[in-house]
Amino acid sequence: MNNINLEITPASLTLVTGSSGSGKSTLLKCINGLVPHFSGGSISGEIEVFNHDPIEEGPKGLVKTVSYVFQEPESQFVYDIVEDEIAFSLENFGISRDEMVKRIDLVLNKMGLSDIKGKKISHLSGGEKQKVAIASALVNQPRVLILDEPTSQLDPFTADALLNYIIFLKSKMDLTVLISEHRLERLLPYSDVIIHLTPQGEIISGPTQSVLHEMEQVPPIIKIARMLNVDPYPLTPKEFPNSHEMAYNEKSKATFDLIPSLQTPVLECRNVSTSINGKPILKRINFRLAKGEILVVHGPNGSGKTTLSRTLVGLQSSEGQIFLHGQDTKLLGTEDMVKEIGYLPQNPGDLLFAETVLDEIKITMNNHQLKYHEADLIEFLAQFGLNEKLTEYPRDLSVGERQRTALAAITVHRPNIIILDEPTRGMDYQNKSSLSKILTLWRDEGRSICLITHDVEFGAMLADRVLLLEEGEISFDGLPNIAYTKFPRYRTQTSLIFPNQNWITPGDISQIS
Amino acid sequence: MKHTASWILWLVLSLTLTLTTRNPFYLSFQILSLLLLGVYIAKQKHHAFWLSQNIRFLLTMLVISSLVNALFTHTGSTTLINLPDHWILVGGSITLESLIYGQINGLIIGAIFVAFNIINLALSIRQLTHLIPGALRPIAMTVTITLTFLPSIQQRAQEIKEAQLIRGNQMKKIRDWLPLLLPLLISSLENAISLSESMTSRGFETQSTGKITRLTLVSLILATFIIFSAWVLSLFDYPGFIILPLYAIGGGLVAVTFISASRKLRTTHFKKETWSKKDALSSGIFITTIIGTIILHQLGMLPTFYYSPYPGLSLPGLSLSGFLVISVLLFPMLVGKNDSI
Ligand SMILES: Nc1ncnc2c1ncn2[C@@H]1O[C@H](COP(=O)(O)OP(=O)(O)OP(=O)(O)O)[C@@H](O)[C@H]1O
Ligand SMILES: [Mg+2]
Repeated sequence: MNNINLEITPASLTLVTGSSGSGKSTLLKCINGLVPHFSGGSISGEIEVFNHDPIEEGPKGLVKTVSYVFQEPESQFVYDIVEDEIAFSLENFGISRDEMVKRIDLVLNKMGLSDIKGKKISHLSGGEKQKVAIASALVNQPRVLILDEPTSQLDPFTADALLNYIIFLKSKMDLTVLISEHRLERLLPYSDVIIHLTPQGEIISGPTQSVLHEMEQVPPIIKIARMLNVDPYPLTPKEFPNSHEMAYNEKSKATFDLIPSLQTPVLECRNVSTSINGKPILKRINFRLAKGEILVVHGPNGSGKTTLSRTLVGLQSSEGQIFLHGQDTKLLGTEDMVKEIGYLPQNPGDLLFAETVLDEIKITMNNHQLKYHEADLIEFLAQFGLNEKLTEYPRDLSVGERQRTALAAITVHRPNIIILDEPTRGMDYQNKSSLSKILTLWRDEGRSICLITHDVEFGAMLADRVLLLEEGEISFDGLPNIAYTKFPRYRTQTSLIFPNQNWITPGDISQIS
Repeated sequence: MKHTASWILWLVLSLTLTLTTRNPFYLSFQILSLLLLGVYIAKQKHHAFWLSQNIRFLLTMLVISSLVNALFTHTGSTTLINLPDHWILVGGSITLESLIYGQINGLIIGAIFVAFNIINLALSIRQLTHLIPGALRPIAMTVTITLTFLPSIQQRAQEIKEAQLIRGNQMKKIRDWLPLLLPLLISSLENAISLSESMTSRGFETQSTGKITRLTLVSLILATFIIFSAWVLSLFDYPGFIILPLYAIGGGLVAVTFISASRKLRTTHFKKETWSKKDALSSGIFITTIIGTIILHQLGMLPTFYYSPYPGLSLPGLSLSGFLVISVLLFPMLVGKNDSI
């Protein structure tokens, strides 16, 4: 980054956006001195945060002023129990016990963590971990709160609750908030300022409206506003003028009301139940994945989505029957299942370990004892936009690139079924649209895709069928235009703007002025 | 029983017993009791596989230590086989006695390992870190990271194994397991870096004064000197009534120094540990047993505790009181549900 000048007013909410790899985390870490004190590298110029100088004082000097929530919650936990973890910084600050108990109770309540306060952190779902990380920062009652992609694993309801609480703190306690995010749709109405980092390393900053006009990749609501020439941009669906006449574009969504044939499911569960450590997680699930469909699974944090996907590939033991192409899989191990099923876990960090991106996919081919030509593999990687990264060390790539490398590594042997658990973590709009192109292509080739995600806008773009999972039970299984319009939690922006239509993505709309 | 201190006393008792006896029957009985207690707690904490993990370690330890001892120590009268003399180190007779001796060592190491595992099960990481004197914050930081890592390393290995399965690795041949090691190392290192980043930005270092006062230093050196001389004296067979008090004074000095140094720090504790009647009772029993065992042992009044297979094999003596003392280790099961999470 070069020659950056920024001023942030107290008690404001600043949204930091930019394509993946543009340096959002680096910018944020300058504020509490982690850059350059932990990162190394060189820095010049001046930074001032409430009369502190982060460059001079380092993170030590700013702990009481700034609280930081890291992008990957998994690796920031010190203790093993939720409650202890949240108390960690308060103990360090020497806060009295009475005060500590009061603050911790409050934050546990606000974050909906009271029920799991005594649980082991390693036993939590991805979203629950993220909530614990945020709670451990809020409990400090800092003057500046920095959140690096805080909602990437939160369900829509939880994400809204969190944002509302942060807005409350901002107005009542003069909290200054900086949030880095890829999914802007939820944040726009709350943000006062946007700092946008362009891929060229430039920085555009200013009031929300003006920066939005300069951004290329925007959330659905702004897309619609641009389509309909509404200016200034409405930031919430409610602000949208509903005087426009629109017609449904037949061509935009050919499969709109076709239920994919479920006669011959490629993957099927009958009465599958799982319990972990004596606690039932999935309760008699009947699940089917048809040939050539994209099935999108949504559900609150901790509802059992990850458990379901692990059960399907045999990583989690279960009761009931699972059929792969009509065959009972009782006797198959994960290593056999993955010949037919490509599985991307929620936290794919461990998946990558080779020296280069190219080696990574060669290993998969070797593991499956398949022959290959290197040229074919390179062509395959090009689909993922990775052809220029062939010789790079996978773990040094940006989050979005790593995600795509992992995806390539689990699909290079062309499995007919693909299960993805939160694949859009850390992906910007651009990455997401290239991912959706790949998935659509695969679907059209007749492969079946099960996509677990909290990103309803992304889900709505792709779904042939939607499954809602709640407390380990399937609460809905049906068409996307019902799922994304009838359930308040899962409504997309398009559906909120046009409540009387069946539209769920900007693609469903075309304008007849 | 849930107080950290009572569990630490329990651990001291277990270690005392392990280190005062070389009687294989007592040691086996102790390990059995430990496993029983472990299973009891593991069940409450829904910790699957606890028993199998420990048994796997125990067996490995037994095999390794008896083989090593048999191969390198050639004393003993019952020769099993003779290895050619010109083989370096291992050449000579392999005797039943040295095999047994190695096995006893294996039992001792195993008992220590299982006892620590039980502590790991019974106490949370927070409880363990707060045992480290505040005066040693920089060390505490390292220890915390280690403590967080040790339990998580098994889980991490499991995650990486799953990742390998997902990538289609069959995990059937030894060679298939090799890819586990590197990711384990790399991801542990990466994790350590982000963890220290997180700890720093959450105020871990703010309260560390970083300076150890001169008085602290002097008394620590003094304590070390006292303990060291007690050890030297014991090598020359000085009687217990001289050595034991020296150990006590040295140990006490270390404790007082650390406690007074920690007082100066401004950390607070979120959970106050309260002494319940059960804790007091069990701690009392543990202390009495520890002191009793040490004194009796020093006075030579626990004859059945001694055993050596050399020069020729004999059956170790046993007494009911020996078994009774060891079964004190099961006391946490008597006082009931462990609800310390
Ligand atoms: N090893 C474990 N021990 C105990 N409970 C567990 C364990 N793993 C998961 N759970 C619990 O099972 C429930 C379902 O977890 P799962 O990871 O499937 O949720 P999820 O729907 O994927 O959530 P998220 O949206 O947050 O990823 C959660 O309540 C979680 O706390
Ligand atoms: Mg999940």
